[in-house]
Amino acid sequence: MKNLPTTCPSCSGKLAVKRLYCENCKTEVEGLYPLPVLASLSQEDQEFILEFIKASGSLKEMAAILKVSYPTVRNRLDDVIVKLKQDKKTK
Amino acid sequence: MELNNNRKLTTTLFNPFVYIAGAQALGLGLGAILLAGLIGSLSNTHFDGVLDTHTGLHVPLWVFLAEGLADWLCLSLVLLIFGKIISNTAFRTIDLLGTQALARWPSLFISLIPLLPAFQRFSHDLVAQLTNPGGTIAYNTPDASIFFAGVTIMLLLLCWEVALMYKSYSVSCNVKGGKAIGTFIAGLLLAEILSKIALYWLLKLA
Repeated sequence: MKNLPTTCPSCSGKLAVKRLYCENCKTEVEGLYPLPVLASLSQEDQEFILEFIKASGSLKEMAAILKVSYPTVRNRLDDVIVKLKQDKKTK
Repeated sequence: MELNNNRKLTTTLFNPFVYIAGAQALGLGLGAILLAGLIGSLSNTHFDGVLDTHTGLHVPLWVFLAEGLADWLCLSLVLLIFGKIISNTAFRTIDLLGTQALARWPSLFISLIPLLPAFQRFSHDLVAQLTNPGGTIAYNTPDASIFFAGVTIMLLLLCWEVALMYKSYSVSCNVKGGKAIGTFIAGLLLAEILSKIALYWLLKLA
């Protein structure tokens, strides 16, 4: 699966969505849509957040799923929160 | 997921707290501390300070066991306070207590080294020389070699233990960088002093 580019390869600025395409009826929609906040995270972080939601936000359950300790999961979550806060600040 | 892959030997040896913390680490760590105290009692090896190991007087077994527990508690409590001050996250006390206990597991190996007969013979000779500076003692070269090799290994094990203590603090309190290293060193020194005071009172009880 291709990674969704979120920053401009030329100036490193934030990318936005300009065109959307329907795979069913081939309709194309043009406009200017900001990328979702979570899209700015790495694939790995996005998977982590997804697992976290599936685990009902339980750090203990996450630790058991990932076979790591509780503080490791909590630190990882803290790192993601910091990234999201930094992303919000740059916006 | 990447987080669980590449479980390298180095991580297991130098940062096992990525995989184990909390009550599980506390149980294993306390077991290791008590076992090290028990083995230490066989050769009168005292863990008389957060970073100290010395051969000394014969005292009741409970003193050997209590020394290890006092060392662990002193450092854990100091780091707990520092962690609460500098960490931006709400960490669990049990994680710090547990991982600090487990960080002391190399002391198990440290306690085994003085059991070597050659180590004990040379220690005895050294003490005799120190208590009687005028006297001459014929040192046994193989014993001396084993003694110095043992001391070197003990120092390396101590370095490993300190590295584990730092990782325990870093992972449990989610602190990194210069601030974490600085507070850890300060904590270690403060805990060393506290442990000496605690052990002084402990020996008074004995």
